[in-house]
Amino acid sequence: MSPASLLLHWSLTAGLPAALPSLSLELTVLYNSLLFAVSESDGLVEGEAERINHGLIRVLEACGVSGQDLSTEELWQKVLQDVTTEELCAPLHRLGALQGAVWLAANCLGSVTGLFRLLSDTKGPLPSAHGGENELLALLKAWSVPVEGDTSPLVVQSTKDLKEILWTSAAFLQGLQGLEAGNLPTALSLLQAAASGFCSKRVLAQIYTCIGCCTQQMGKPQTALQHLKRALQVDFQCLSALSQAALVYRQLGETDAELEALALLYKALETPAQEAVSIDPCFLIRTELLVHTPALASLFSRSHPSEVKYLLAQRCLQAGRVGEAVEHYLDLLALLQEGPQHQVPLHGRSALPRIPEVFLEAASALEQLGRYQDAIAVCEEIISRTDDLIPETLRIELDSGAGGEAPGRAGSPSPGIPPQQRESLRCIVWRAAAYLHQGRAWARLGESKEAITRFTRCLNVLLRVQLVSAASIQSGEKMAEALPEAKVLQKIRLLALLGRGSQFQELGRDKEALMNFQHSLQVCPGDPAATSHLLRALWKLNRRQEAAALWQKLHADAAPADGQQEAPGRPYPLYLVSCLKQVNLPHDESLARSLQDYLRTSGQDP
Amino acid sequence: MGPPLPITLSVPSPQAGTGCPSGRRMAHVGHKVDYLAGFCCPVGGLAAGKPRVLCHENQVYLSNGSEFVYVYDQEGKVLKAIYRFPDQVWHVELLPLRRQLYILCAGNGIYCVSLDQQSRLMKQTDGDGKEDACPSSVFPVDTDACVVPDVTLCTFTLLNDVLVTLSQAQGQWWMKLHVLLDPDQESQPCRQISQVGFSTCDQTGDDGDALSSHFLPVLCCASAPGTAGPGEGLWCSGGFTLEEPLFSLLFGIDAAMLDSPMILCGFPDGQLCCVPLKALNSSETVDACSEVAGQAPPVKILHHLEEPVVFIGALRTEHKAPDDPDDQQLFGDSGCDCVVVVGHYGKMVAMKAERGEEAKVPEVREYYLQGPILCAACGGGSRMYYSTHSDISAVDLDWVSNASDPESIDNTAYVLPPVLSPASLSICSVVALSLSSRASEGDSELLALSAKGRLMSCDLCSPDDAHPVRLTPEKAGQRIKELLSGIGNASERVSFLKKAVDQKNRALTSLNQVMNVSAALLSNQDGRKPVTCTVTASWSRLLLRDTWAISCVLENWSECSLEQGWTLCVQLFTSSCAFDEDSVDSATTFTFPIDQLLPGSKREVTLPLGSAEGPKLELPLTVSCALFYSLREILDSASDSYESLDDLLPDDSPGLSPDKEGICLPLSKCTIDILQCLRLDDSTVPGAPPSIATLSDPVETFLKVSRVQSDPSSVEVSDQLLPKALGDEYLPPSVASIKVSSELLKNALKSFCEGAPLCCAALRWLLAENAAAAPLRSQDVSAVRGLAPRGGEVQLLVREVAVNNLCPAGPIQAVEILMQSPSLAEMCRVHQAVIRRIQQTLVLEQAAQGSGPPDLRMQYLCQIQANHEMLLKDVQALRDRLCLGDDASATAEKLLHVYRQLRNPSLILL
Repeated sequence: MSPASLLLHWSLTAGLPAALPSLSLELTVLYNSLLFAVSESDGLVEGEAERINHGLIRVLEACGVSGQDLSTEELWQKVLQDVTTEELCAPLHRLGALQGAVWLAANCLGSVTGLFRLLSDTKGPLPSAHGGENELLALLKAWSVPVEGDTSPLVVQSTKDLKEILWTSAAFLQGLQGLEAGNLPTALSLLQAAASGFCSKRVLAQIYTCIGCCTQQMGKPQTALQHLKRALQVDFQCLSALSQAALVYRQLGETDAELEALALLYKALETPAQEAVSIDPCFLIRTELLVHTPALASLFSRSHPSEVKYLLAQRCLQAGRVGEAVEHYLDLLALLQEGPQHQVPLHGRSALPRIPEVFLEAASALEQLGRYQDAIAVCEEIISRTDDLIPETLRIELDSGAGGEAPGRAGSPSPGIPPQQRESLRCIVWRAAAYLHQGRAWARLGESKEAITRFTRCLNVLLRVQLVSAASIQSGEKMAEALPEAKVLQKIRLLALLGRGSQFQELGRDKEALMNFQHSLQVCPGDPAATSHLLRALWKLNRRQEAAALWQKLHADAAPADGQQEAPGRPYPLYLVSCLKQVNLPHDESLARSLQDYLRTSGQDP
Repeated sequence: MGPPLPITLSVPSPQAGTGCPSGRRMAHVGHKVDYLAGFCCPVGGLAAGKPRVLCHENQVYLSNGSEFVYVYDQEGKVLKAIYRFPDQVWHVELLPLRRQLYILCAGNGIYCVSLDQQSRLMKQTDGDGKEDACPSSVFPVDTDACVVPDVTLCTFTLLNDVLVTLSQAQGQWWMKLHVLLDPDQESQPCRQISQVGFSTCDQTGDDGDALSSHFLPVLCCASAPGTAGPGEGLWCSGGFTLEEPLFSLLFGIDAAMLDSPMILCGFPDGQLCCVPLKALNSSETVDACSEVAGQAPPVKILHHLEEPVVFIGALRTEHKAPDDPDDQQLFGDSGCDCVVVVGHYGKMVAMKAERGEEAKVPEVREYYLQGPILCAACGGGSRMYYSTHSDISAVDLDWVSNASDPESIDNTAYVLPPVLSPASLSICSVVALSLSSRASEGDSELLALSAKGRLMSCDLCSPDDAHPVRLTPEKAGQRIKELLSGIGNASERVSFLKKAVDQKNRALTSLNQVMNVSAALLSNQDGRKPVTCTVTASWSRLLLRDTWAISCVLENWSECSLEQGWTLCVQLFTSSCAFDEDSVDSATTFTFPIDQLLPGSKREVTLPLGSAEGPKLELPLTVSCALFYSLREILDSASDSYESLDDLLPDDSPGLSPDKEGICLPLSKCTIDILQCLRLDDSTVPGAPPSIATLSDPVETFLKVSRVQSDPSSVEVSDQLLPKALGDEYLPPSVASIKVSSELLKNALKSFCEGAPLCCAALRWLLAENAAAAPLRSQDVSAVRGLAPRGGEVQLLVREVAVNNLCPAGPIQAVEILMQSPSLAEMCRVHQAVIRRIQQTLVLEQAAQGSGPPDLRMQYLCQIQANHEMLLKDVQALRDRLCLGDDASATAEKLLHVYRQLRNPSLILL
C-alpha cells in the first residue's frame, strides 16, 4: 500500500503546478504516505522532514508566495499566516501534527512549541501555563483539531489520535530531560502526566520505571519500589524495572530481596525475548517512535545474562554468602566459556569488570569456601595467560600532572601513561594477585614450602614495576593517587610479605619471618596488621624492648586516628577484600597482658 | 575452447637463488602449471575482488563473478555441477562439516546449498551456450535457499555454526552475528544474535560509495590456540589459528581468557579492525575512531593501511628447533605466528610478537610490494603468494638473522625481515588464488583463476623433487605432455606480453609524433608557423537561408603529419559590451578531431554562426585556434583493457590529473568585426559611383547631416532635420565620421592605391577582409551600403575634404570616412571597427615613419578640448541621474544628444 500511495503522491506532485483545488488531496496523500514511511522504517529520518518542506513550498506556490530559502520554522509561520483557505485548514493541521512528531523525535522541543503556538493560534504564553504547568503540554491541549468533513480524503491515522500521542510523548520526553538534568520534581510531575496519557503498555511500563528512578533519586525508595512494581505489572518484559528494583533494594540494604530480584532478572533473560507486542495498524505513529534520548536508551538497554550473573556473584561475595557466591561464579565462568551464542558485554558501560578480575574474584570466593585446590587452578589460568604479556621490567614515569586525576571513574586513564604500559601494569597486578591467592591457598593446605614459593613469585612479579616520578620520589600515598593500580600493587606486596613471614614462622624460621615483617612495615609504614605481626615476631624472638617500644607506638598512633584507617581513597578490589580482612591478627589478649607486664616491670608504663 | 588438457610442465623459477643477501633465504619456487578447466569470462577479462576459488579435498568450488558457482572435481577432471543464482556472486564459503556451500549473491543475500543434495537435484538442462568446458547440469537456486535475505550485505565469513556478515547501511558498516540452526528442528535457518556498528573514519559521500562499490571489505576469523583441535572441523576458508603470545598481544587478555575467536575485518578505506566473536556488541554505536580507554572496547583498530584491504591471512614464520623431534607435530598443531594484511596498491603489513624482553608489544612492519595486487593466498608455511596483473609472486617472511654477521646485529632485535624479495611464478593476470587443502599430503598446490577464466593448478614442490632422475618410456610420454602444456602456457604469456608491448610501442610512436609537432610549433615563434590556421568570415546560403559563418583553414606545412588524437579547438570570445575589449565574459569552444593531416595538405572547417534572424552574436568576435592532444588517449591505449589508468600511474605521480592533462598548442588569434561581415547591397555594389548620385533622400540627408554636424553651432538644426528627412523612422540614423589626413592615408595605403583615387583605395582597405567586397577591388567606388549580420543597414562613404581652422599653414587635405546606420549599435560597431583598422595600420605606419604632424592651431584645439570636457561633465551628470532612475527616457535621450555633440567635430587623424 505504501508504494502505491507514494506513487500516487509522486504522480500528484511531479511536474504539475501546485493548484489550490487539488492541494487538499495532495497534502492528505503526503500525510498518509509519510505515515507509512515512518512506520515502515521504524523511525523518523531526514527524508520525511524534507518532504514536509516540499509540501509547504507547494502550498505557498499555489497561493503565489515564494517559499524558497526559508527554514522549516519560517515556512510554517508563512503558511499558517498567509494561507487562509478554509479547506486547507484540516490538511495543514494534520501535516502540522506530523511535523510536530518529526521534531519531537529529533528532540527539537523549541520548534514544536513554536509550531503549536501557531497552530493553536495563541500569541503569548497561555494563561494556564504560568502556574508551573508545561507550556507545550498546555498548547497541545489547547490545540483544537479542525473537524474533518465527510467529503475529505480518508487518512490512515486521525489527527486526534496523533494529538494524544504527541501529548504523551511530549510529557515523557520532557520528563526524561528533567530526570537527566536532575530537575526531579518537574520531571516527576511530567512523567506522571505522561503516565496518564495515551500509549502502549510497553511505554507505560517504561514511564513507570522512569518514575521509579526519579523517586529513588528523590530519596523515596518505597515509592520507587511501588512504581517499579507497577511497571512490571503492566509489562513483565520491562526488565529494567527489575534491575532498578535490585538497585533500590541494595540501597535499602535488603540483600535478600536484591538477590531475589537479580535471580529473577537472570531467569527472565535466560528465556529468549518474546517478540514485540503486536502493533495496532491504526497507530502507525507511536510514542516509541518519538521518544529517543540517550538516557532512555541506556536505562532500557537489555542487560546480558553474564552481567546479571556477575552481579549476583559479586553481591553474594560482598554479603559474605560465600557458598552462593561460588556457585554463581562457577556458573559465570562456564557462561563465559560458552560459545558465541552467549555474548559477553566487554564495552565500557558493562557491569562486568575485566575478565581476569572475574577469575580472581572467583578464586577468592573458592578460597573462602575452603576449595583451595580449585582456587589454585583458577589462579593458574590467570598466571598462564599473563605469562607472555608482562615485560621484564616495567618502568612507568609519573609526570607531575598525573596527580590531578579525578578519582571517580575506575579505569579513567591517567594523563601521561601510555595505555600499553597501563595494560602491562594491570597484567602485573593480576598475575601478582593470582600468586598471592595461590600462596594463601597452599598455606591453608599446610604446604608452607609451596606457599612460600608462591609468595616469593608474587613479590618477584611486583619487583618488575618501577614507578619513577619525574619531579622527585613520591610518597606511596601520592603515587597511589596518581595511579590507582599502584595502591593495589602496594597492598598486594604487603599481603605477600606478611603471608610469607607467617609461613616462615610456621616453619620455625623466625628470623626470616621477622625480616619479612620488617620489610612489610617499610612498604606500608604504620600499617596495623604489619605492626602487630612484627610485634609478635619480636616478642617471640625475645627482643622485648623493641617489641614494647613498637607496642607503645602502636597505641599512641591508634588512639587519635581511630576508625580512620580505611576511610581515604577508593575501596580495594573485591578479590583483595577477604585477604585484607584475614591478615589482621586476632587481638591476642595474652600477648597484650605480657607486654603490659613487661612494661610495668621495666618501669616504662605511663 | 575444447575440453581442458591435463598437461604439465615444470618451469624453474628464473629468480631463484640470485642476488640473495646473506642471512635471508630466498623463496625457492619451482613449479608445474596444469590447466584444469576454462570458464566463461566477460569481454576484457574477469575483474579482481569477486571471483573466488576454494578447494576442499578433491573438489574445487569456483565463482568467477558471474551468477554461476561451479563445482569441479580435480581428480576426475570434470565439472560436476553448476549453480545459478539470481545475481552476481560476490563471495563463497564452504562449511565442510555440514557439507554446505554458502554463497553471497549481490543484492539478494546469503544462500545455502547442500552439497549432498546435488544428486537429488540433478536434472538435465541444456546449457545456455555459455558453458563449453563440459556438458553439465545447471541447478537454478531458488529463493528458498536464501538463509539471510539482506540486500545490503557485502561479505561474510563462517566459523562452525556461526555466520558473521558485514553490511553497509545508513552510512555505516554493520557486523552481524548469526547462528546457523539445525534445519530439521528449527523453522528458520539461522537466528541473529547480536550486531555491532563500525564507522570508518573517511566515509565521505560519493567517493566512499565509489570505493565501496569497487572493493568489498575482507572478513576473516582468527581463533585462539586450543579452542579447536585440528580435526574438529574448524576449517573455514581464510580462517586461521594464532598462537600465543601473538593472540593476546593483538587482541587483549580479555578475548584470550574468554577463548573467543576474533573477527578481523579489512575495510575498503584501509582500516583493519578486530572484534571478539563473543563480544560482538556495544553499548552504543561504536565510533571506531575514538577509543574509550580504560575498559577496552570490543572493537579495536589494529592498523590503517590507507588503501583498500584485499587480503588478510596468517603465516607460520618460525620453525621449531631442528633437533626437536616433535617438529612436525608441533608444526601441525600450533597456529600461525604472524598476521599479514595486503592492500590493493601494494602495501603489506605483517604483525608478529616481538622477541625482545623489554616491551611486550606486537611488532608491526610495513612492506611495499609492487601493486596493484589483485588477490593473495597463504598456506601453513611462511610464504605468501600474491597476484598482480603481470605475475604471481611469493614472499617469504621466514627471517633467520645471522648473528655471526656483524652487520646484522642491529637486526636481531626484529623478528620480521627488513625487506622482502618476491620470487616470480611467471603466471600472469590471476584474479583468484587458493592454496589447496591437499597441502598436508606433502607438496602444496596453488589453485589460480586467470582473468581469462582459466583454472590452473600450480605445484609448489621444491625444484629438487621436480626433476626426475631417469626417463622411462611412460615418463617420456608424460614429459612430452608436460612440454606441450608448457608451450601452451608460454604462448599465452607471450601473446599477453606481445599485446602489451605492441600497445606501448604504438603509444610511444604517437607520443613521438606529438613531440615533433609540438617542438616545431613552439620553437618557430618568429617565422611562419609550420602549422597555420586562417580564419575568415563569410556569408553563405545554407538550407535556403543566408548564414554567416567562420571558416578556419588548417594547413600543415611541417614535415610530420598530424595523426589521430589531435583536435582543432576553435574558441570564440564575445564581449558583452562591444566597446570594452577587456571584459571577455563568454567563450564557446568548438572542437574538431583531426583524423590525419599529411604534410602539405589542409583542412577547412566551417562554423555557421547563425543567420540574420538567428541567435544574437555580438561583434567583434575574437577567434582563437589551438591544437590539442589528449595524453589520456596515449595512456589509455598503452594500458590494456583491464588495467585502468589509475593502476598504470604510480599513486604519487605529482599533479597529474589524467582527465585534464594534455598538450595544447596555440595557433592563431584574430578578431572578426562588422566590416568583415557586412553583406553589401547587391544593387549598390557594382555601379558604385553613379549609384551614390542616384541615391535619393537618404544620401541627400546623409550629406546634409554630415555638413551640419561638422559645424558645432548648428547641432539643433540637424536634430530637427533628421527625423523629418528620414520620415519613416522615428529615430534619426546615427552618423559618425572620422577624418584622416590624406598624406597619412596615402603613405599607409600604398598597396591599395595603384592609381585609384584615394577615397576608393580607403574603402577597399576598409573592406579588404570582407569576402563579399571582392568586386569592389576592380572598381572605383567610394560609397557602399550593406547589411550587418543582424540585419541593420549600414552605409559607408569616403570622400576627400579640406579641413580648415586647424592648421595655420592653411587647409589640410583629408579623407573623411562617414558611417551611418539607423541602428545606433551597428553604427557604433562600424565606428569601432574603422578605428581599430586605423589604429592597427595607420598609427603604426606613422610611428614607423617618424614624421611629425604639421603645425596646428593650438588655440582651436584647446577650445575643442574645453568643449568636450564640458560635455563629458554633462554626460557624468546625466549618467548619475540615470542611475538614480528618475525620468529615465528623457535622460537617455539627453544623453544620446550629448554623445552626438561629443562626436563633433569628428576625429581627425593627421
